[in-house]
Amino acid sequence: MPDTWAPVARSAITVPGPRSVVDGWEVSTRRSSAALRLSDASPLAKVSVRADADGALADAFGVRFRSSRRRDGVLVIGSGPGEWLLVGGVGTAHQIAGQVCGLVAGDFVSVVDVTHGRALMRLTGSDASRALSKVCAVDLSDAVTPEGAAFRSSVAKVTTDVIRDDAGGGAGEPSYLLHCERSSGQYLFKCLLDAGKEFGIEPEGPGLDSTGAR
Amino acid sequence: MIRIPCPHCSARNSAEFRHVGEAAARPDPSTVTPEQWRVYLYERSNPAGWITETWFHTMGCRRFITVERHTVTNEIRSVRPAGSSGPEPAEALSGRADAGSPDAGGQA
Ligand SMILES: [Zn+2]
Repeated sequence: MPDTWAPVARSAITVPGPRSVVDGWEVSTRRSSAALRLSDASPLAKVSVRADADGALADAFGVRFRSSRRRDGVLVIGSGPGEWLLVGGVGTAHQIAGQVCGLVAGDFVSVVDVTHGRALMRLTGSDASRALSKVCAVDLSDAVTPEGAAFRSSVAKVTTDVIRDDAGGGAGEPSYLLHCERSSGQYLFKCLLDAGKEFGIEPEGPGLDSTGAR
Repeated sequence: MIRIPCPHCSARNSAEFRHVGEAAARPDPSTVTPEQWRVYLYERSNPAGWITETWFHTMGCRRFITVERHTVTNEIRSVRPAGSSGPEPAEALSGRADAGSPDAGGQA
């Protein structure tokens, strides 16, 4: 037994393939080169922030409900009126929370690390919109849901935050981040694999390297 | 299927909402009679026509909204955040058509 003991976190989502422990997370190392890919992004840090919808924090973020923006490597998502979800690199939740607290003084703001309580996945590929629209009624056309758009709706009957984030997909293709309660994660993952079957979808692990980046 | 134009989220399938019921003004508890309080708690007008009611957008913004709906045709003529006064301008109703196929709300 090693002298030092470190906790190992596991995602709510099981992706087939060889496993290894990276940055304290036991993840699947499976990568896919399919045209449509669904990857488990749950190890990324997730911080939930609530504050006045039109207050100082909203101005500091420069993000309102239904939009998102990258700010110093952290994706700031306007997930509801007066509600934000911040997504950053693996293990950075406390750092992100500290930065948020530094942005405002005197306002009532709630900052909660929800990394281990939620599931996060990413659907990437030229057919991503077509696959997602099989289980989501919101119009995913570029006119209504352009790059950076965010909304919360029913995806396969699960309450899900959907963020159009082609930039984060890194492949120059349509890419969506999907965020839901941890207990619904595996179900949503399987529903999306099912919806993407006709487009040749393949699941893959988070693609972490030793720095936690994609 | 009823399509509700949420003032925060735009048009959505009613399956995303919880129907709270007819909106009634709460009487002042310091002056109300027991009879008036009973009416406030239990009696609903239940018309075949226009009704002002409250819905909660469970799967969206998680806010209460006030909706004017025709109970026969399900036509909706105004929506506004609950607690705000005037009806929402027609902008939210003008069919920005953010919702796609009405039946696409979930896995078949
Ligand atoms: Zn809403």
